[in-house]
Amino acid sequence: MSLVSGPGRGAGMTEMPAEMRLFADKHVRYIQSLDTRKDELEYWLTEHLRLNGLYWGLTALYLLGHSDALSRSDIIDFVLSCLHDNGGFGAAPGHDAHMLYTVSGVQILATLDAFDELEKRIPGGRQKIGKYIADLQDPETGTFAGDEWGEQDTRFLYGALNALSLMGLLDLVNVDKAVEYIQSCVNFDGGYGTSPGAETHSGQVFTCVSALAIAGRLDLVEHDKLGAWLSERQLKNGGLNGRPEKQEDVCYSWWVLSSLATLKKLHWIDGEKLTSFILQCQDPELGGFADRPGDMVDVFHTVFAVTGLSLLKYPNLEEVDPV
Amino acid sequence: MASHGISRTSGTLVRSEEQRQNELQQIATYKDLVDLVNTKVAERQYTVEVLGLVTKLLNENPEYYTIWNHRRRVLIALLPATPPDSDDASSPERPHEFIDGDLQLTFALLRKFPKCYWIWNHRNWILRKGESMSDTKLASRLWSGELQLVGKLLHADSRNFHAWSYRRDVVAQLQRLQAKAADSAAVRGLVESEFEYTTKMIKANLSNFSAWHNRSKLIPRLLNERQANGTTRRKMLEDELQLICTAINTDPFDQSIWFYHQSLMSTISSDCPRESMIVQDLSNGERLRHYAREMEYIKEILEDEADCKWIYESLLSTASFYVQVEAGTKAFTTLEMQSWLDQLRRLDPLRRGRWDELGRRLNL
Repeated sequence: MSLVSGPGRGAGMTEMPAEMRLFADKHVRYIQSLDTRKDELEYWLTEHLRLNGLYWGLTALYLLGHSDALSRSDIIDFVLSCLHDNGGFGAAPGHDAHMLYTVSGVQILATLDAFDELEKRIPGGRQKIGKYIADLQDPETGTFAGDEWGEQDTRFLYGALNALSLMGLLDLVNVDKAVEYIQSCVNFDGGYGTSPGAETHSGQVFTCVSALAIAGRLDLVEHDKLGAWLSERQLKNGGLNGRPEKQEDVCYSWWVLSSLATLKKLHWIDGEKLTSFILQCQDPELGGFADRPGDMVDVFHTVFAVTGLSLLKYPNLEEVDPV
Repeated sequence: MASHGISRTSGTLVRSEEQRQNELQQIATYKDLVDLVNTKVAERQYTVEVLGLVTKLLNENPEYYTIWNHRRRVLIALLPATPPDSDDASSPERPHEFIDGDLQLTFALLRKFPKCYWIWNHRNWILRKGESMSDTKLASRLWSGELQLVGKLLHADSRNFHAWSYRRDVVAQLQRLQAKAADSAAVRGLVESEFEYTTKMIKANLSNFSAWHNRSKLIPRLLNERQANGTTRRKMLEDELQLICTAINTDPFDQSIWFYHQSLMSTISSDCPRESMIVQDLSNGERLRHYAREMEYIKEILEDEADCKWIYESLLSTASFYVQVEAGTKAFTTLEMQSWLDQLRRLDPLRRGRWDELGRRLNL
């Protein structure tokens, strides 16, 4: 996921029926407030998600047309304070380097168009980050580990290709081998799991389809079969679930919808009903989105609600790249 | 930061000053512990005492991945680098106590946080460590115990995909060990018992797509290991079709079941990759007989469940398979196919765009 276009225009509220209204200003303020909640234990217990959270918040702000709602230089300072000498990023200063945060770090720098600043402050920084990621590829199987401790997952494979392509460094890894690995994860329903043999899961479908898109190998996807499976994620209330016979959740508005968009099959589900479901999950007073209507909001569900709405062409939102 | 299923009203209550002070105190205590652990590890104080602090912190926050890394740093220092000499009676039991301790810690945490990647990951790591300090027999016992653990966690949540993945990994580890011990009978027994496990899970809950999925992966392995011939392979296909048809009859509105049915139908097609086929030498005549029989059976269910969209979708997709083998069939008419598509449009307006496209593809 990255932004198609640069800094946005102001999001003027159009006349929408009350139940279809997006409380954009409330969401902007909610995201701005996230770093002021240091008197809540939850803030400290979620420090391991800080850099991801910043990426999610920033992306939501860009799509809402408020790219300047957080200070650019503060963000760059924070991101670089998470960078280790080995080229990997941790979740926050003092946290170990890991693929998940390295990808968020690169995505934030790409969003802010700040690779030049990275080079200025850390000469050779881009190459260093690229090397950290490339070294995590398993030369035998083509997949990627999350860090030096070796856990492997198609999430890391996608993250690696995404970050490297944003930095223009895809040639540091064996893309063909990575593609081969993705192919070994395909299941009878046309979908993908975390590793060969694992059950199809919408999150993993997103990582594998997007990785194939980056590699230019969408021809390998069984479009109709997987499209059908993805379209069956929509439930009667309009929301999407992640696997058969599971509950709906706003975050799948990203994982499922972006995969459908990449396969050019967005019209295989009812966009209007999904839009209405997503909007029911917002907190109209304090801002933010929850997994389901009436639940506690968080920045994770907020970004995937907003990116989902963006794919659904909700008015006055910037356009998001499904990959 | 990612909260699931927690009602908003419980979170938006305004805290009293006393509650706020309490929370500030909790934060201070938590941060002190974090600082203490990070400092000790930075100073390379890899001691049993620090391991205890790490345990305390992980119990408070198992998502803090850096602390799991710290734990491994401490353990690597505390565990012997080479397997203990089993003949040496004086060798301390200590190393295995560490392994057991971490198995207990991760089990207790998985009970509470069954979807936390870092805990599963650490459990895998500690088992590998344990294996490196054991002979093959002891290593097998270590990994075998994991099947029971994962059974417990799947009993609590039969769709937990972490647990299913872990289960497949444990089986792979056991097979690796048995292959090392050249115990081919045991390897075979494992695939058989895993297959039976999916039967058990499906019978407990037909809607368990995770179990159907695993079954689809086990069948080709099972047939290869049994060195099954055409007859036994045909028997397997018959049994699976019968199982799934009974399931359809029990709950025709459950999509897990239909996805598995569809997968069986696709293994019959000559387009199916050979390694995924159940029967590898089906004749076209047999294919047509299978398709016709399935369509007949599904139509019977239709009599009671005229509003079940899955029936029409399955009829259309089986008809498409049929036409691939025999284009000018009289088994069903274009008019019938048209009527099934109309039913899909009527019963499933959410996916209207998909049905329209299907109609164009089938020239309906």
